[in-house]
Amino acid sequence: MEIVKSAQSGTMQSSDLMIFLEPAEDLLIDIESTVKQQFEHLIRAQVEKVLELHQVSSGHIRINDRGALDYAIVARLEAGLKRACADHS
Amino acid sequence: MVVPLLGQHDQQQAIQLIEQQGLKFEANFDVQFGLFDGGRLLATAARDRNVFKMFAIDPDGQGSSVLGELISALLQSGYQAGYQAFFVFTPPASVPSFQACNFLPLVSHHKACLMEFGSGLKRYLDKYAPLVKPGHNGAVVVNCNPFTLGHQYLIESAARQVDHLYVFVVREERSFFPFEVRYQLVREGVAHLANVSILDTGDYAISGVTFPGYFLKADDDLSALQMELDLLLFAKHLAPFFNIETRFVGTEPFCRTTRQYSDTMQELLPPFRLQTVQLERCQVDGEPISAYRVRQELRREAYETLRRLVPESTLTFLLSAAGRELQQSLNNYQRRH
Repeated sequence: MEIVKSAQSGTMQSSDLMIFLEPAEDLLIDIESTVKQQFEHLIRAQVEKVLELHQVSSGHIRINDRGALDYAIVARLEAGLKRACADHS
Repeated sequence: MVVPLLGQHDQQQAIQLIEQQGLKFEANFDVQFGLFDGGRLLATAARDRNVFKMFAIDPDGQGSSVLGELISALLQSGYQAGYQAFFVFTPPASVPSFQACNFLPLVSHHKACLMEFGSGLKRYLDKYAPLVKPGHNGAVVVNCNPFTLGHQYLIESAARQVDHLYVFVVREERSFFPFEVRYQLVREGVAHLANVSILDTGDYAISGVTFPGYFLKADDDLSALQMELDLLLFAKHLAPFFNIETRFVGTEPFCRTTRQYSDTMQELLPPFRLQTVQLERCQVDGEPISAYRVRQELRREAYETLRRLVPESTLTFLLSAAGRELQQSLNNYQRRH
């Protein structure tokens, strides 16, 4: 998949996260989180895993997290990717 | 569920709720959201471009997930409208609630705090990182509506007193001349100076975010507060980044708001090791040159007088097709800046 337009997914509710995706030359992942100090590396690992799974290698992805669990991160990111990527079907 | 507020009835309820919370309802916003409980409005908030405002939550709804829901709706609508970073002015007591939603305080003040969502300031500074110079640097913030010989004189004098001078051109589109034109005329007007860089202020100096009062009618308390926040933002974030030690201003004979801003500057900046230097405006025909005066002469199409008030580059633009077209619309323009 390739990010070709800007899109957004998720909410800023507690235990959720909001994701903004934009096309870019390189891959850039920005993470803001209320639990950034403790969990930034885990959030990043989860995001990278999903991106790899969908073969996304470029784009600017901004994560705004409020303590989301892994499955929420996966679901929000996949929803965001579906909105931001070209339809290949 | 949070929904956009539409129609008179919704708005009446919103005004009531906002006033109940001791806030003032302001009519200028792009969209207003609300959360209802069986027909009764429980919470509301509005977005004016990239500024969120008029948050009001009924005591029955406080402490729940309402704030997160409102912010989500505001962010979604703002992002769709093309904005990346968002701001909120909030009383100190509400800072933690917004922090929990990933808003970071940019500047705090005993009465209010300016908070930002989306790391816009960081992106702004990253963009200008290549312009950072060591040494004893200075700054001027100018609107240049349009660029005059007065601006040129101010910038030349300031540039002589520092190692490098940063000229911040006000980004906000609330002036007669559009930003692109103002910026281009500043560029051409100072092209002969080697130690001058030109930047745009973005949202971070004299913008609708930091300083809406500059563009509105004077409301003393509010505009004093905004001036202080604007200057604190400059002192805390912009000045240290660019090694700025001196801020230059021209003396202001006409506009009370601008004069008050310069006065506040001299009070607020010294604790941050920033000095303010006031430079005397240069005069033509016994009167200081101002952009206001230039617009007056332009309205009368007095191009011979204009020749003595603006540099060649500005005059060339005013006489161009684009300049003539703007001149035509000047008769309908009544604002101060």
